Amino acid sequence: MVFVPLIFPGLLTVTIVIVVLIWFERKLTAKVQLRYGPLYVLKPLGGALQMVADLIKFTFAELIVPKGSDKKAFILAPILLFTLSLLPVIAIPVSSKYAAFFSDLSLLIVLSLLTLTPIFVLLLGWASDNKFSFIGSLREGFMMMAYEIPMFISILAMAVTYDSLDLKHIVETQSSSLWGLILNPLAAIAFFGAMLMTTARYPFDITEAESEIVIGPYTEYSSVIFGLCLGASYVKLYVLSLFFAEVFLGGWNPFGGLESLHPILPGVAVLAKGVIIMGLCVFMRSVYPRYRIDQALRLGWHKLLVLSIVSVVLSLGIVGLGVL
Amino acid sequence: MSEERTIELLIGPQHPGSGHMRLTAEVDGDLILKFEPNIGYVHRAVEKIAETKTYVQIIPLVERPALPDTANHNLGYVLALEKLLGIEAPPRAQYLRTLLAEINRIHSHLYGIGIHGIFLGSSTMFMWAFADREPFIELAQQLTGARMTYSYIIPGGVRRNLPQDFKVNALKALNYMERRLKDYDKIFVHNPVTVARLSGIGVIKKSDAAKIGIVGPNLRASGIPYDVRKIEPYCVYPDLDFDVVTREEGDSHARLLARIGEIEQSIKIIRQILDKIPEGPIFLESYLKLVSPKMRDEAEKTGIMKFPALFSALRVPKGEASSRVEGGRGEVFYYIISDGSPQPYRFRMVTPSFRNVIAFKYALRGHRLADIPAVYGSLDYFPPEADR
Repeated sequence: MVFVPLIFPGLLTVTIVIVVLIWFERKLTAKVQLRYGPLYVLKPLGGALQMVADLIKFTFAELIVPKGSDKKAFILAPILLFTLSLLPVIAIPVSSKYAAFFSDLSLLIVLSLLTLTPIFVLLLGWASDNKFSFIGSLREGFMMMAYEIPMFISILAMAVTYDSLDLKHIVETQSSSLWGLILNPLAAIAFFGAMLMTTARYPFDITEAESEIVIGPYTEYSSVIFGLCLGASYVKLYVLSLFFAEVFLGGWNPFGGLESLHPILPGVAVLAKGVIIMGLCVFMRSVYPRYRIDQALRLGWHKLLVLSIVSVVLSLGIVGLGVL
Repeated sequence: MSEERTIELLIGPQHPGSGHMRLTAEVDGDLILKFEPNIGYVHRAVEKIAETKTYVQIIPLVERPALPDTANHNLGYVLALEKLLGIEAPPRAQYLRTLLAEINRIHSHLYGIGIHGIFLGSSTMFMWAFADREPFIELAQQLTGARMTYSYIIPGGVRRNLPQDFKVNALKALNYMERRLKDYDKIFVHNPVTVARLSGIGVIKKSDAAKIGIVGPNLRASGIPYDVRKIEPYCVYPDLDFDVVTREEGDSHARLLARIGEIEQSIKIIRQILDKIPEGPIFLESYLKLVSPKMRDEAEKTGIMKFPALFSALRVPKGEASSRVEGGRGEVFYYIISDGSPQPYRFRMVTPSFRNVIAFKYALRGHRLADIPAVYGSLDYFPPEADR
């Protein structure tokens, strides 16, 4: 029971994946931008341990709590933010026999736990007593409204398609039918767009927009809790990528058979698919500049929302025609 | 709690998006009601220092405020000085001056485009533009021996002759740049996100642009074809064929496109200079006669003119002179009053950034907070140049 949240696919795996992912993001961006990227920490592997060094630096940096801040909220908010971002992992089954707990509603549990996280971003921005933090967290609030609704509706479309709210059942359905991405590409696109917005990836790097509001809600943060703030968005990306892999990319299919060897093995396939999605998300950094907040909101409300509603109609059509 | 609708944001001088100045924005929600650029944080009293230096010492001094655009500042000052001295550099030197000025214009524009990129969050554009300055800095280094602060242009000519393989390298760099401009177009200039961020933002209308007196690519992007190279030609610009790049829109995107267009024109100019450059001396004959025979021989052999000692005691006749040149960011103006002593009596330097800074006030009103970096970058404002 403890193994899932702490080791796989929980904390330990998350830490390793994030360390590798950030290294990969920086290396890839560097490649596009004609530079080396991280290099000197473990040179034979191209600076692969750069993030570990950075983590150590964050951990031992002085923790500064500003005078005017609401101290309890200032310190607790990032911790809760990080915890709540990671918590949905328990409800994601990585093979048909392996999860912290199985639930008929695991699809909803994952999404509803993730929905709670922006509240803590609002809280920490408010607690910091800084104008830039305040503006940043307000932006997060606005963005939340724009991405949560399309995200839920596009997932509703998939739930209608598979006639289930259970991730395990959804993945098992995909073993005998087409994957979700091909069944309902509109829902996949809407969800992917909302996912980029949720995790503040480019071109929706709006809450943290450096040249506008320093680093948004996290402006006053330092030391290990700053690391938690930054880590939270990557953890969210990790959880959502696993989720995307299960709902749209067939989860552990076609490696479900490996289960007889060891129940964890199919999970590696889920992780691999998730990592590809994460790689795609972080690659956006080298291609796009950043949208303005009103443009991102318009995109959320006008395009993603419409797209997700159309995807529900498409799903109803699929179910009505009995394709599955 | 009192019912305050607006907050006053102090952006800078310690802010990743401010540069060396403070921007004061009064915002109502996300809308900017009032915007004030507060300059002077990097004032270095260049004009006052110049009054204590000999004329030749002022050459490196005027380059310092505008590091990305040193050659044009150097050229402007030397042209004013030559007017006072009543001399004119030989044709080959004039060509070499123009060559360096155009190389400098390209990498100065790349600098501005790169900063604009990072302000909008496109780190790729930032890295590319800064990396692609390198071939031109290398070219300038081949020509002058320095990467940034060339001090290449001296009264009566230039310091060094064209190196042997310069033409080959220059053509290579120009072809490379032309290829890269196409890449820029795809990744940044016409990236849908960039267009959404820039078009219609920070519009300076033609009449406003003339009224507030902005200069350079910012003015030309508002539709006014004002370019000192055409209006009051200097050096060899009258012999060269190039267009003044103007745009009608006057918004941030037009200013970006104007800079891209000027890079293309500079490439064209450099090609012509490389074809047309005449043989001949690079330093004024009458000055060369004052130099010791040993130095003269060495200069002829190596093509490198060491700063002649005669400059250290350069006495300029009484009088006043002014000059203007088209720098990377716009018109650079110099005014010198000489009282016959080794130092100028009064030295005046009007830089393009100083004249463009007022545009912040007009271009940003009514826009959103997120537009501040978009417009700032598009104006290519360089605080040290404005503060001098």
